[in-house]
Amino acid sequence: MSEYKGIHGGKVQNYTTNPDNPIEGQVWYNETDGDFKVSSFNPTGSWATGGSLNDARADSGGAGTQTSALVFGGRTDPQTGNTESYNGSSWTEVNNLNTARSGVRGFGTQTSAIGAGGYQPSPPYIRNSVESWNGTSWSGVSGLGTGRYASATAGTQTAGLVAGGRKGIPGPAGADTESWNGSAWTEVNDLGTGRYNVGGAGTQTSALAFGGNPGTPAVTESWNGTSWTEVSDLNTGRAPVTGAGTDNTSALAFGGPAPSGNGALTEEWNGTSWTEVADLSTARQRTAGHFGTQASALASGGQTPGLTSATEEWTGAGIVTKTITAS
Amino acid sequence: MAHKNYQYCVAENWGKGFIEHIESQKITFRGYPANVWQVPAHNKDANIWINKVLGQIKTIEEAQALVDAEITAYQTDWDNNNIDGETEEEKIRRIGDRPTDITLEE
Repeated sequence: MSEYKGIHGGKVQNYTTNPDNPIEGQVWYNETDGDFKVSSFNPTGSWATGGSLNDARADSGGAGTQTSALVFGGRTDPQTGNTESYNGSSWTEVNNLNTARSGVRGFGTQTSAIGAGGYQPSPPYIRNSVESWNGTSWSGVSGLGTGRYASATAGTQTAGLVAGGRKGIPGPAGADTESWNGSAWTEVNDLGTGRYNVGGAGTQTSALAFGGNPGTPAVTESWNGTSWTEVSDLNTGRAPVTGAGTDNTSALAFGGPAPSGNGALTEEWNGTSWTEVADLSTARQRTAGHFGTQASALASGGQTPGLTSATEEWTGAGIVTKTITAS
Repeated sequence: MAHKNYQYCVAENWGKGFIEHIESQKITFRGYPANVWQVPAHNKDANIWINKVLGQIKTIEEAQALVDAEITAYQTDWDNNNIDGETEEEKIRRIGDRPTDITLEE
């Protein structure tokens, strides 16, 4: 009988945990799991189910990464200020926003985040209030110059950006963009196309805004720290759409009107164009985003069409570890 | 007999590990209301996954009936959830769009 050593000239090594950077085709034995493993190349990326939220919700704010995330506010029927923290496996309820709202949008990290704007089903409806998260609790900080909900956001707790959003019901789709320096908002150059339910990604000086209402535009705009420039459209225009990504050259757009098939679409941005990649397993709209990067993102909750607590975790193309089975 | 592209099962999504990356790289999943899942028919990897999640196999007619019942319940809830003086646009903002029907594929 042939042995691996005889074929490949090396023994299969034992590890207690999987190696950090295996090469494609590498085989090892994981003593902890009791399984043989192999690294292989995943060419398109994929979604897997993540830990479920404690509260089903849609239209929440989000901040952080795939394995260290914060979700806050949204609609649990009615609007909520409920906040949950994710460790990559499970969600834990933490202190609530001071003002319950949906359409609030976030940026920052799990321990240092901003929640901006939102909507309440009673006067004054559209919120300009902003809250800051210190890892334990929320506190009010300077409000947006223009109240809005469902905007695109980017950046960190001390260097953020909010663009677009809806300014009233009925009311116009805003193009207004505001920059946050950790203590105050400054109005900067507008989006070329006013919209809400718009996806966003990036930083205060390198961001992307894509999709959104009214209609279902595919328009994408790139922010260079000073102004917005229209770039290549999404392959499928849709709203609401959710985003993740590090800057205006690397982003992920996912979700859309659900339960239609467009609600499962996922597209990758490479700085020049969008490419359709693997779909979410469940079409969903108004899922919270702003978690992670093009290569490692999280879709949290949403409507499918009912409110859902389900989450999905995105891993982009690259080396993945597989368990070798006898079947 | 018509060729089936898909099979359906009912399984509750328990979260992490319910669908793993290695599984979604091999087959395409579609989740629907009422915990109905669509996976490829006549597919070994799909059958292994159904077995893993203890999925209850349903015919397309059974699966469609489950989805319809759930959607109808959502639509009824939506229709009955009203506030005096509220416009439809305000209502959509408050509770989201009225759920639309779903037709499962053979």
